[in-house]
Amino acid sequence: MPERVVTVVPEDGLHARPASNFVEAASEYDIEIQVGHVDGDLVNAASMLAITGLGVTAGEDVRLVAEGQEAEAALDELERILSTPEGEG
Amino acid sequence: MLEDDIDRLFPRAHIALSDPPASKRAAIEFLLDLLAANDRVSDRGAAFDALCERENVAPTGVGMGIGIPHAKTAAVAEPSVAFARSRAGLDFDAVDDEPVRLLFLILVPEVGAEEHLHILSSLSRALMHEDVRETLFGADDAETVQNAVREAMD
Repeated sequence: MPERVVTVVPEDGLHARPASNFVEAASEYDIEIQVGHVDGDLVNAASMLAITGLGVTAGEDVRLVAEGQEAEAALDELERILSTPEGEG
Repeated sequence: MLEDDIDRLFPRAHIALSDPPASKRAAIEFLLDLLAANDRVSDRGAAFDALCERENVAPTGVGMGIGIPHAKTAAVAEPSVAFARSRAGLDFDAVDDEPVRLLFLILVPEVGAEEHLHILSSLSRALMHEDVRETLFGADDAETVQNAVREAMD
């Protein structure tokens, strides 16, 4: 299953606008995408409640896992959001 | 979460069982008034502005009928959480476009950035459990709400 580890760049972490962009992007793919701390449980990347529950801060690594068609494209897009400093997204 | 912590963070005085007003702004004011009435807010206008500013960045309707408006503000001296629920459901610009029925408002001091995130994430994890949401929605008294949060937050 395609997966990758990405360092969260935006100052807010996976919170506020970056989280909203992330959830919106994950929702656009009709496949299961999960995210979590590198050593933790994975949650649904399209759920804002679940993402908020992760409490990911700037500089932390997260693990992204996707399955199905377009999995790599979805991971590319989510990685782009997590790697883009605030104000440039 | 430690018993004393919840009693400070989320005392029964911060829990409303009556419905908030139907608009998002008015509902946030309703929650803020619970904290203000308990002497937690030194500058109500500044606190409200901070909450609205955060909503403008990204709405806090996180889906599953839950809204968690929150802000860091110098208008509070200690972290404070308020609760209300809406039987009618509020339009909260939620990510899933569903009406919001459970509302938690979080205010933390400017210096408490990490605590802010901890309270928000811990509360969000608690609210992912359907039984917790149902208990909160069906509670007949503030004690039930407070205990549900006490037990579910880690």
